Amino acid sequence: MEGHQRNLYLYDRFNARVVGVSRDDVLTLKYWGNGLGITFPLLSNITSFLGAYFHVSPQGMPIFARRTVIIDKTGIIRYVRDGSPDFKDILLFLKKLNQEGGKQ
Amino acid sequence: MKRKGLTILCFVLAVVWLSGCATMETSKKVPYRLTPQGMVIWEDEFEFRPPPPDWKLLRVETGENDINFGFTRTDPGPFPSLTTFAYDEEPFGCTAASFEGREREFFKRFLFNAILQFQILEKKQVQVVGGEGLAVLVEGKDPVKKEKVRAKVVFGKRGGRIVGFYITQWRPMDGSYDLSAFEIFDKFVSSFKFLKKSFYETL
Repeated sequence: MEGHQRNLYLYDRFNARVVGVSRDDVLTLKYWGNGLGITFPLLSNITSFLGAYFHVSPQGMPIFARRTVIIDKTGIIRYVRDGSPDFKDILLFLKKLNQEGGKQ
Repeated sequence: MKRKGLTILCFVLAVVWLSGCATMETSKKVPYRLTPQGMVIWEDEFEFRPPPPDWKLLRVETGENDINFGFTRTDPGPFPSLTTFAYDEEPFGCTAASFEGREREFFKRFLFNAILQFQILEKKQVQVVGGEGLAVLVEGKDPVKKEKVRAKVVFGKRGGRIVGFYITQWRPMDGSYDLSAFEIFDKFVSSFKFLKKSFYETL
């Protein structure tokens, strides 16, 4: 999440917004986000429906697996990667999407 | 503790599906070469003076919070006598405006898993990678495991982003530090140059 925070100015450049989703409750996320200096939205999804929607709920575990998803303006999922985010890959992908959008 | 979470990047432009051409990345067997002057050119991006041959190259998988590369040496003496130093393009923390702000963020997570009691021994402004920087010397102690670590962190800037160099030297609580390793680290840092713009500057 710190990496996303460091890259916010670049996401802005590519007309992208970032949202984090976790199963933690709101108070926990507030404390954690403030501790790290996170300024983008962190969503609390304790019922885990987003985890089911994005297939990131390991069976029997009260957490989400790490997954990065990029959704375009029309709601189409364009990018899915598991594990720790590869920020350079994400930025290059967003740059490409932004360039594609500019040609419309 | 790392948060398990899901990150959604919402792209807010109208786009059409294009089957882009993937470029093939050429693999490099050795990411560095030596100059006749004894300097290392690392992936045509960095230049620095390497440590003596008894230091081993250290590389870890890329990803969040990992170092770019470093060097490590097993020191004489009982566990955990070990010295490691590294260059990190993405040191812990988010603040890019001030080194002091980044330092505060960095030390919230630096060696976090070791659960150490840190004490700042020295903090001073330095010149590094051609600009202003901040060097912080700390010592951390673990009275339960009876271990200690002496560490130096140097923050500098590459483009608009803060980068870091750090060295850690672990010892048993009654062990003595080998300060010559810190001199090798200082030479590494002072010799360090960027040979081209960073990935982030070229976006």
